Amino acid sequence: MADETLRETIAERLALGLKTEVWPRAETSADVNAIVRRLQVEAKDDLDKKLIIAGFTDHVIVAEGLEQPCETCMYYQVHARFCDLPELMLPVEPNWSCRLWRI
Amino acid sequence: MANLLWLQGGACSGNTMSFLNAEEPSACDLVTDFGINILWQPSLGLELGDNVKTILQKCISGEIKLDIFVFEGTVVNAPNGTGEWNRFCGRPMKEWVKELSAAAQFVVAIGDCATYGGIPAMAPNPSESVGMQFMKRAKGGSLGAGFVAKSGLPVINIPGCPAHPDWVTQILVAVATGRAGDLTLDEFHRPKTFFSSFTQTGCTRNMHFAYKVSTTAFGQRKGCLFYDLGCRGPMTHSPCNRILWNRHSSKTRAGMPCLGCTEPEFPFFDLAPGTVFKTQTVMGVPKDMPTGVDKTGYIKLTAAAKGMAPAWAEKDIFVV
Repeated sequence: MADETLRETIAERLALGLKTEVWPRAETSADVNAIVRRLQVEAKDDLDKKLIIAGFTDHVIVAEGLEQPCETCMYYQVHARFCDLPELMLPVEPNWSCRLWRI
Repeated sequence: MANLLWLQGGACSGNTMSFLNAEEPSACDLVTDFGINILWQPSLGLELGDNVKTILQKCISGEIKLDIFVFEGTVVNAPNGTGEWNRFCGRPMKEWVKELSAAAQFVVAIGDCATYGGIPAMAPNPSESVGMQFMKRAKGGSLGAGFVAKSGLPVINIPGCPAHPDWVTQILVAVATGRAGDLTLDEFHRPKTFFSSFTQTGCTRNMHFAYKVSTTAFGQRKGCLFYDLGCRGPMTHSPCNRILWNRHSSKTRAGMPCLGCTEPEFPFFDLAPGTVFKTQTVMGVPKDMPTGVDKTGYIKLTAAAKGMAPAWAEKDIFVV
């Protein structure tokens, strides 16, 4: 599926209320590693599971005073509007968010 | 002519291997061109058993003038402070270290183990290892915080795992040719000429650091290794990207994160699972910032730089 189509598909699922694991955020590196392991083992190529486990939202989440938009995340490719985390590799929007956000 | 004696304690011989690969000058050049007389070295010495012991005793008694005493590896104190786990020439190595250091004009610790304890000294430290004059960041070590060699200098620390051969040979040449006065040491006794700049200085991935583009997997040529793969280049003092390894590369140029092996805390986090090759974060923000950068400034800078990143910065371009 082309990135633009897939991005629209993801936007639609989130808009329709797909329940994702937004909280708790990945506070420590151990939390990050645990979520990444779940993505590797449970989600693999299943789109819904990726979105659920990573805790995707179609709006910015603020955690402990930090805004966590895809736009400032280290895995975000600005020009491709793409999440480059190997376990996700998904087209995203800059104002989306997930709990693997890192800066 | 300067007499040099080189011994190993709790060591893997990595620094000897590095030293033997020196090119400009080479280990042979030290002898032929710079007047260094190698009394004994574990991989080069011809003497065995009692003949080695005789050399050491003559150095201690003063019959042989000991100009430079080089030590590689930790000083082992186990079990129970006796040092019996590391015996050499009939007695604990720690006793030789103490007496030879007192007899030497200059004492040089080579490699992270000899300087700060390195891997053997990480918790739970079963060999009771310490560095020559430091235990990690704490001054003291085996010889004590107040130790100075006959020259008046404390132990000269050349850390690294291993130390680059040029760092070793250039310091040995400086000492052997009477230019020790030119050496200035930092708070961890590292020669400032090598250890004032950062591993990041000269890193070919600096443009990716600037635009906040991350390497996300080993082998990628794009991206900076600091953001995700645990690279310690921005906070590690070493010239690894100024004085290249094998004259043409470095860890970061080859896609390998800097492990911070020239800093006293190495190996960081005692190699706990999940800490190696993984940037440690708190709520998505790196736990260890580039030296001199605070969290607020880092977040502002990163957000701005990320938004300014040109398209080429996100491509897999050749940076070596």
